[in-house]
Amino acid sequence: MASELELTDIVAGYGRAAPVLRGFSVEVPAGKIVCLVGPNGAGKSTVLKVAGGLLKPRDGKVLVGGADVTGRGPQAMLKAGVSLVLQGHSVFREMTVEENVLLGAYTMKDKAKIAQRVSFVKEVFPVVADRWGSLAGLLSGGQQKQVEFARSLMVDPKVVLLDEPSMGLDPKATGTVFEQVVRMRDAGTAVLLVEQNARRALETADLGCVLDLGRVHISGPAQQLLADPQLGELYLGGRPAEPPVQPKI
Amino acid sequence: MPNVSRILKIGAIVLLAVAVLAFPGVAPNPYILSAGVLVLNYAVLSTSWNFVGGFTGYISLGHGALAGLGAYGTGLLVAKGGLPPFLALFLSAAIVAALAVPIGFAALRVRGASFVIVSISLVLILLLVFQSWASVTGGSRGLVVPRPFDLSRPEHHRVFYYLFAALLAAALVAWWLIDRSRFGLGLKSIREDEDKAEALGTATFTYKLIVFVVSAAFTALAGGMYALWFGDLDPVFQFSILTGSYLVLMALLGGVRQLFGPVAGAIIVGVALEYFKVEYGDTPLHLVATGLLLALVVLFMPDGILPAVGDLLKRFDRSQRSSIREVSAAELREQRLKEQAGTETGGKGTGDDGTGRTAMTEAGGTTR
Repeated sequence: MASELELTDIVAGYGRAAPVLRGFSVEVPAGKIVCLVGPNGAGKSTVLKVAGGLLKPRDGKVLVGGADVTGRGPQAMLKAGVSLVLQGHSVFREMTVEENVLLGAYTMKDKAKIAQRVSFVKEVFPVVADRWGSLAGLLSGGQQKQVEFARSLMVDPKVVLLDEPSMGLDPKATGTVFEQVVRMRDAGTAVLLVEQNARRALETADLGCVLDLGRVHISGPAQQLLADPQLGELYLGGRPAEPPVQPKI
Repeated sequence: MPNVSRILKIGAIVLLAVAVLAFPGVAPNPYILSAGVLVLNYAVLSTSWNFVGGFTGYISLGHGALAGLGAYGTGLLVAKGGLPPFLALFLSAAIVAALAVPIGFAALRVRGASFVIVSISLVLILLLVFQSWASVTGGSRGLVVPRPFDLSRPEHHRVFYYLFAALLAAALVAWWLIDRSRFGLGLKSIREDEDKAEALGTATFTYKLIVFVVSAAFTALAGGMYALWFGDLDPVFQFSILTGSYLVLMALLGGVRQLFGPVAGAIIVGVALEYFKVEYGDTPLHLVATGLLLALVVLFMPDGILPAVGDLLKRFDRSQRSSIREVSAAELREQRLKEQAGTETGGKGTGDDGTGRTAMTEAGGTTR
């Protein structure tokens, strides 16, 4: 299957410090969710910054739909079809849901296309349609995250990069957010997902990639990674919990 | 049915326009009329400042320098260049707008406190230049600008009062148009979070520079008009940090996100300044009062007077009464009817995907 996003042998870091990513490679196939998991400081968010154009790699290549876009800025990456949803709540709180969503289409000129994308995201995220005129800052955390997803889909991206979408959300809202990630995938968008809640993320993803010390430790189908007991011990917070034994009455 | 706050808003605008236009007819003496001209001058300057401050959130204390440049440009073009006054006014504004490009290019590279300091340095540099370059600017002796009309003093004030009112209307229309445009949307995203805006594809630096130039042009027009009206320019007053501080205070007091916020602030501060000068002469009491007012506004009305009044009016407007989630009673009723209809027909009104249901539950929960 053709890759929408391909990062090859990426070396990247901040300032003059030692690189965070040391020859990292990943492929995101069309219509799939690829999940990056790993311990704190492994370089997960750095991968997204490189892929989103916020950080220029020192070495390596970034390809979108086969085209080399290495070192391009965020606007160029958006135009190439890569949309980034930042960590935490990144809605513009003092602006309405409508304004937030329309800002996602800021690089687009065609009004008819923008209107079509608005209808599409309203359909995929009903809460966006319901709260269209409300201030985004007044929405709950889960709803804000959906506004961010809707905004990221406005440019009809090939790939959406999601940085810890469940951060700060309660379990119910987290569940809804992961459902929406699946809906994005089902709508035809490839997703590169970085998540601390590794087990939940791998359950949602098609493919998984374990990152440690700036390199890929292991990668493969997400279910296979979930089933690996050694991996569970090292990176997923221990083995999956056994179902509680029902006491005999 | 149109809601009460909307009717009140339109009524207030009409009332303000009528009051502004009727003021010269009811002003008891030329001094009061000249105070009216001064307040309108402040209103234009503050609205011009709000192109940058209101849309991008960049606090400039250097707008006094741009007004001073407009004033001196107009004055010099008339007094030394022999140009017709109003041609000189527009030419001067165009020159200041052109100068704003390199100034903005340097100043807008920094944010927050750094931008404030850069804007202050602009005022101080220009003060030194205009004081020292006496052969051209008249230095500390000042510059006398010939009057454009051969009219009596009261008539002179009256004509300039209406000219300032027209300039204010033009500035307000420009601000309103930007506020509703795609350009305005990009500017507001810069105000909210510049990095996020850039990540979404907004050309943040170009947008800031464009709006800075627009702001500089209107500021220069106000400065130039002041030069033609007052007829005497002194660098100490034209290039004063106080002027920039007053503009910030006026806009903050009225509400920087409101079209009429700076106008409301200019009326309050302008009238107060004149009152203090009349009652207490050249004492620094008006500065103490200004500082106190600024502190009170920042502490108790960070969004300004107009939003505070708007919130108060909303309390009396049943159709706009809302829960903490900003869902009005009417909207809630409509949502529940939709929900009921959905349940009866087995449609998705009940929120079978989880997302719509979340919104309804929260909205309902907060109004119980």
